[in-house]
Amino acid sequence: MTELPVMMPASPEIFLACAAMAMMMVGVFVKAENAYRVVSTLAIVALVFAGGLVLHVGGGRQEALFGFFVVDDFAVFMKVLILIGSVVALIMSEGYVQREKMDRFEFPILVTFATLGMLMMVSANDLLSLYIGLELQSLSLYVVASFQRDSIRSTESGLKYFVLGALSSGLLLYGCSLIYGFSGTTQFDTLALALTGDDTSKGLIVGIVFLIAALAFKVSAVPFHMWTPDVYEGAPTPVTAFFAVAPKIAAMALFLRTMLGPFGDLVADWGQIIWLVSVASMLLGAFAAIAQSNIKRLMAYSSIGHIGYALMGLAAGNEEGLKGVLIYLAIYLIMNVGVFACILSMKVQNRMVENITDLAGLGKSNPAMAVLLMVLMFSMAGIPPMAGFFGKFFVFMAALNAELYALAIIGAVSSVVGAFYYLRIIKIMYFDEPVEAFDKVETMGLRGVMIVSGLLTAVLFIYLPGITDPATAAAASLFGG
Amino acid sequence: MESIGTFLPLIAMMPFVGALFPGLMIQAGRNVCAMTAAVPTILAIIMLTICAPAVLDGEVLQFSLPWLPSLGLNVNFFLDGLGLLFAGLILGIGILIILYARFYLSRQDPMGQFYTYLLLFQGAMVGIVLSDNILLLLIFWELTSLSSFLLIGYWKHLPEGRQGARMALTVTGMGGLAMIAGMLILGNIVGSYDLTVILENKDAIQASPLYLPALLLILVGCFAKSAQFPFHFWLPHAMAAPTPVSAYLHSATMVKAGLFLMARMWPVLAGTPEWFYIVATTGLITMVLGAVIALFKDDLKALLAFSTVSHLGLITMLLGFGTPLAAVAAVFHIINHATFKAALFMTAGIVDHEAHTRDIKRLGGLRHLMPITFLIAMLAALSMAGIPLLNGFLSKEMMLEEAAHTVWAGSPWLVPALATLGALFSVAYSFRYIVHVFLGDVRQDYPSKPHDPDFGMWAAPGFLVLLVVLIGVLPAVAEPLVRTTAGAVVGGELPYFSLKIWHGLTPALFMSAIAVAGGALVLSIHSVLAPRWDAAPRPEAKQIFDAIARTATVFSRWLTDMLHNGSLSRFAAIFAVAVIAAGLFAWTGGEAGPPVREPLEIAAVPAIAWALLVLCSLGMLVFHRNRLLVLILMGVVGLIVSLAFIYFSAPDLALTQISVEVVTIILLLLALNFLPKVSPKESSPGRRLRDGVVAGAGGLAVAGLTYAILLGDFAQESISAFHLENSYSGGGGTNVVNVILVDFRGYDTFGEIIVLGIAALVIYALSQSVLGGAGGRWLASGELDSKKAGDRHPLMMVIASRVMMPIALMAGVYIFLRGHNEPGGGFIAGLVVAIALVMQYMASGFAWAVARQRVPYHTTIALGVMAACFTGVGAWFAGRPFLTSDFGYVTIPPLEKFELATAMAFDIGVFLCVIGAVMLALDSLSSMARRAGETVNQLPMDIDPARRSVANATDKMAVAAGKEA
Repeated sequence: MTELPVMMPASPEIFLACAAMAMMMVGVFVKAENAYRVVSTLAIVALVFAGGLVLHVGGGRQEALFGFFVVDDFAVFMKVLILIGSVVALIMSEGYVQREKMDRFEFPILVTFATLGMLMMVSANDLLSLYIGLELQSLSLYVVASFQRDSIRSTESGLKYFVLGALSSGLLLYGCSLIYGFSGTTQFDTLALALTGDDTSKGLIVGIVFLIAALAFKVSAVPFHMWTPDVYEGAPTPVTAFFAVAPKIAAMALFLRTMLGPFGDLVADWGQIIWLVSVASMLLGAFAAIAQSNIKRLMAYSSIGHIGYALMGLAAGNEEGLKGVLIYLAIYLIMNVGVFACILSMKVQNRMVENITDLAGLGKSNPAMAVLLMVLMFSMAGIPPMAGFFGKFFVFMAALNAELYALAIIGAVSSVVGAFYYLRIIKIMYFDEPVEAFDKVETMGLRGVMIVSGLLTAVLFIYLPGITDPATAAAASLFGG
Repeated sequence: MESIGTFLPLIAMMPFVGALFPGLMIQAGRNVCAMTAAVPTILAIIMLTICAPAVLDGEVLQFSLPWLPSLGLNVNFFLDGLGLLFAGLILGIGILIILYARFYLSRQDPMGQFYTYLLLFQGAMVGIVLSDNILLLLIFWELTSLSSFLLIGYWKHLPEGRQGARMALTVTGMGGLAMIAGMLILGNIVGSYDLTVILENKDAIQASPLYLPALLLILVGCFAKSAQFPFHFWLPHAMAAPTPVSAYLHSATMVKAGLFLMARMWPVLAGTPEWFYIVATTGLITMVLGAVIALFKDDLKALLAFSTVSHLGLITMLLGFGTPLAAVAAVFHIINHATFKAALFMTAGIVDHEAHTRDIKRLGGLRHLMPITFLIAMLAALSMAGIPLLNGFLSKEMMLEEAAHTVWAGSPWLVPALATLGALFSVAYSFRYIVHVFLGDVRQDYPSKPHDPDFGMWAAPGFLVLLVVLIGVLPAVAEPLVRTTAGAVVGGELPYFSLKIWHGLTPALFMSAIAVAGGALVLSIHSVLAPRWDAAPRPEAKQIFDAIARTATVFSRWLTDMLHNGSLSRFAAIFAVAVIAAGLFAWTGGEAGPPVREPLEIAAVPAIAWALLVLCSLGMLVFHRNRLLVLILMGVVGLIVSLAFIYFSAPDLALTQISVEVVTIILLLLALNFLPKVSPKESSPGRRLRDGVVAGAGGLAVAGLTYAILLGDFAQESISAFHLENSYSGGGGTNVVNVILVDFRGYDTFGEIIVLGIAALVIYALSQSVLGGAGGRWLASGELDSKKAGDRHPLMMVIASRVMMPIALMAGVYIFLRGHNEPGGGFIAGLVVAIALVMQYMASGFAWAVARQRVPYHTTIALGVMAACFTGVGAWFAGRPFLTSDFGYVTIPPLEKFELATAMAFDIGVFLCVIGAVMLALDSLSSMARRAGETVNQLPMDIDPARRSVANATDKMAVAAGKEA
């Protein structure tokens, strides 16, 4: 027998792949009416177990599969965030999925596959493994977006996402092939050694720019964000909740590792593009959200804005910026999960509502939820002492220290504008005449997610090192390695 | 002083801890509830008193607790004169408000909730003034916004209350964010977030290029909080809150937070022309504007609210002057204003409480009904007007004195004149508060009989008025506090000053006299002025605020409609344009280096082919609605591409390309059967133009890029050399392309045939599910029925395809066998055989052909994949990695010696897979055709059913013949 390649560092991914395939079998052979529940539970267990494996494998740089796959503190940090996002999305979707008759067992399996792709993306150490992870994720997401097959909005959003996503994947491959052509390798470590920053050829920079454009599409940064509002609004709400968190974090991880790893020395060449994308995202996120009446659409613009802030850290292009982004993403995860738990609870007489005005009078009809949502909105707006403020704080400081003053000031201005619509939601909840009260929050899981995320957002400032320490280690691992 | 310093966090925490109790204790009664709110405040005051002597001696108390040590962030508190003054004001007035509110709030109001909010707010305010760390300060700053909005919105049933809370929240919240940014920039300049450190770095800050942005951002926050022009509009609207809240927030504390911050940052920010012109001018405008508006307000609280705006402007202006003496005056006025304004608000609340109205037009003569209230209100209002022997006089004198010396943009009279004007209106509205409310005849139309309230309610304002008089008569009692505080503001030595009533005949005294006389005069003609003022057009701030909000919404809607109208083609266009722009940017950024390769000579024939290629592509654009024509043009393009492969000596690619072309064109042709012949026109000419431009730009960009790349060399040697060297020795074949496919990259090929198989299965599954659903019904409905050719299975074609069949199979085998060394291989062979089979189906009809087809297509695909797989696994038994190939030579007589490689078994897998996939696709299409009403032929040569009647006899004979067979 031949010697097998090193695989242990990839054990969480290998486990998830096997588990997902096993779940397909389970789904087929279990009685149809139980299939969703059983598979969903299995998927949650598998994802949690994979999280355990991730922690077990641990940080410290380990390569696997001939150097195509790498595990370090950065990967562990991101993978834990992604797994939390996926698990929470599955927990939150339970009630909705069953009520809206989309409780087919493929849903949790697709989420698992998408998560597997994301984990691969985070650990990709080669342009090829990057692409494979990205496609596994994207293909699963296309399907999940149109999972409500009988809804025109859902299928339309899935189709749009697919067409544009295919375009961006093509662009990514084009960029990768240019990079390969002009550097002679696809491996990140070798690329980093080859590209030192002097006399970079045009073809290579064009390749990098195409890569950036494709990755910007995946994180939905302006001007490649066009799919976001439609998909957020059209996809079933639990899917949107999933979209808003895990894939964003994974794509950001990919973005960070690619840009700061192999192309780290060329920051002078690509930094300006990130700068521009970041500014455009922040401004569009702030201004376009004002007119929204659908809360899912609002969250789409809000996520575009948040990505703009996170990219601010990337534009800084140094370890401090990276740390800022990591903290930002962790806090983004906490907040967004909570907001979507609230959106998933916007149900009047067993019918989901999505308009912001439907929140009117929530302060009276459901004070606990209103307080939690208020905390989350303040946090989104970046008002201290909520967690969201610290997310912004660290990227702002990174931008200032990197002397990106214009970027920081535009960021400050757009966060002021952005505050307008977050505060508007609070105003509607507390000061508008109550409309119909919402139904009781459906599942224990949903209630739990809402409470935990609201509380974490409110009191995180007491123990910040809980997030900053791992983020610091993760950032150091990407730069130290 | 470490030991005393530990009191600082306790002072800040005390109200927060205390906030937990009133809500719980309300069960035990209203008095107990008020007591539980008072106790923590009193405790905090006691602790502050313990600290006071040290501070008055000039010490700065500090306390530090690690928070985020890795970032150098600590929970730092410090207490100096400024902090002491403000903490004293906040807690002192806080306890008075707690007392007052106990009597003010009615039984229906949830008192516990009120005290909880109040204590939260109090804690946040104390936190602001004690923080030494910027971040900590910002946290407390925003907490005041939060808790104040809870307090303002406390009476939820009042619509104005809601409106007010919303505007207060928006303005101060957004201002706060701006300030956060400014403060962070400041911290960045200095490199520390500790205020004590920042305050020592004046030069570094003022020299920094970021000084102006930081200053502007911080000032926006301060102005928004302290209701300075142009943010002054929110304060009066917040007056819908209960009066104790107005008295606390809008006189003594929250609105002073902005002033506090300006005073705190005075040592590092003040003294520059920017500071002077921004701060002093804003203050001056606010002072005059607020005073004028206040005079014409009929609501008692609105009058007081605008007077507060005016006085805050006054203090801002003093801070803006940037001189130490002005700072002293500012500090002194902060104290005085807090005392008389809180008292005035409380008396206004008493009037409202007793007379059930706050409308000045409906009040009058209360002097007789409420003598105690009258006394308190009169003294406080006179102090506000700046009448001697009351404390307002002293600080106003100092202000006018400073204003008299101030030169604004070269004009020495502008500031003094406007300051006097402001003071004049200030006198007018103060007198109005006395004259129109308390003096005059007793009115008979009061809703209820007003009388002086219980002692509990007037105790608090009474105490404050005592202070007003005490300081007014004996200014020296306030001097130590003012001195320490001003020292802390200035951050250095103070010039000589003394607080006294008589300074001699100074310009300030004359200005003051003019103001008092003029004020009285203005009030006397108030009844004449008021209607004119009401009639005069003036910008209403609330409307402006609403208009701005509306404009923002409209702009935002326009933006989103323009960008996100849901049109996929627009999305794609933006995407493409962005990528092209980014690519252009990148192209200009890098080093190209000179082209290292010479372009090839262009011969005539390739040039013609190339022109044909371009022409066909353009033709597709023009005729794209005619699907059949497009298909033909596509075929031409494919053909030219395969010719190009031949031209560049790549026969394998050419063979593959041409056979793939044939198969896809045939399958597409069959699929076209089910589609309309012409696709509908969907886009307008304008849009087509846009799309054309974008597509043209994209095409040119890609072509240019390709051209540039073709002229250059890649970074490394091409891998071709390696393949050429090792193809024979390692893979046993001389056809490098085939060796690559089955050996070097055998694993890829293995994956690809699996994908091919899956694709065929998916086509099958999709067509099955389409047939089961709406699509199937549509097909069956016969709408597709278009004219058919007379001969479905023309004789000539049937004969030809059958003659060709063995030849094609032979060719397939030949191509397959030679594949390893010469152009050919399993993939091409599979396609060739598939084409031969497809021709049978087309010529003789599907049913006829399928009846003669022994192996089902699914099985063919599976066999192919398994053959490839087992070949790969076989390598394991030879101790080699998966898919390693081996080869040897065999001689089977009478054939020549030929090579047999395991790769050939693998190639068989490819071959079978390709055939199976193509045929399965064909099967799927034919099942659609059958659903669409196509009859199944039993015989090879069939004619259109429409002609059946004519050919009936022949048919029957044929059927009979078939049965016999």
